[in-house]
Amino acid sequence: MAGLGYRAEMAAWDMSAVDADFFEVAPENWIRRDRSPLYALRDAGREIKLHGVSLSLGGQAPIQPAFLYALRELITDLGTQHYSDHLAASGDAHQLYDLFPIPFTSSEVTRISDRIKQVQDILGMPMAVENTTYYTNIGEMSEVEFLMQVVEQADCQILLDINNIAVNHKNHHASDLPQFLAQVDMQRVSYMHVAGHEFDERFGLYIDTHSQPVEPSTRHVALDLHQKHAIPILLEWDHDLPGLHDINQELACLKTSIST
Amino acid sequence: MLEDFYLYVRGASDVIPAGYQEPGMRAYRHLVLLGATQMIEAQFPQLREQLGESAWKTLIETFVRQSAWTSHFYGDLKDEFLAFLERESQR
Repeated sequence: MAGLGYRAEMAAWDMSAVDADFFEVAPENWIRRDRSPLYALRDAGREIKLHGVSLSLGGQAPIQPAFLYALRELITDLGTQHYSDHLAASGDAHQLYDLFPIPFTSSEVTRISDRIKQVQDILGMPMAVENTTYYTNIGEMSEVEFLMQVVEQADCQILLDINNIAVNHKNHHASDLPQFLAQVDMQRVSYMHVAGHEFDERFGLYIDTHSQPVEPSTRHVALDLHQKHAIPILLEWDHDLPGLHDINQELACLKTSIST
Repeated sequence: MLEDFYLYVRGASDVIPAGYQEPGMRAYRHLVLLGATQMIEAQFPQLREQLGESAWKTLIETFVRQSAWTSHFYGDLKDEFLAFLERESQR
């Protein structure tokens, strides 16, 4: 089962020709917009999952109930069962519309899991949090320790981004994929993200651009987890979007079975 | 410490906050400027050409430095930018 991140550019595509079983959209893009492209996908039997970009779980600003009420309306309207956002901050007390690292500390585990609980209470449903890329961070824990403590204290799900684990490993020589995944409770994983990334010479860092094909090692790990735990995979391709044919090829690669 | 992180990201300080790495901090500052640039260029396509590259860059950097946006909607940055221009023009 393979899903695809829906982009505005796809409005011109014949979506019935896209070999995706489900789609993912950012709720921020649809709360105030005409939702007919999403209704068409839903009515064709393909679930829309919501993946937010602005919740700022790691930020200092209070959670805004008004935003969550609008989100709840969208969730109900689309009949979706899934909402996620990033285990990251969008800024300090303000929005900078990017994803910044949350220090991997015990005090942040408590603060962030309390914020997740608050969101789940207002929405009246569980949410998932995505492990993100970070380009520099502080704290006494490893990323995966931090992730697992947060999701256990908040009792929420994980949107497991395999590409982000690979990017963080390349940039910080932290846990590699097998080491990271060995510490993840797969029962909590709702689905997986795969994507491509690029090296940026200006910073000497791999940047999570979602503008490239998925690396074979990332794809292999995702397929392996899919086979062992029946966890769906979703392809994210946000910049330099190729044509429908290339997207279908990439999706086909995510539906093959592998021998392990 | 977190305050120092965002002062650097906004370009309000060039001091690397304790414990963080310089390349990563530069990457975050770059990504925020890129996001603001893309949104403003999309909304005001002639502005960059009219201002010239140097004045355009200074304008975006000044906009990001004083940022205090709270909306969940990225598109609202357009209104924030207009309010910022209004304030700047009255200085």
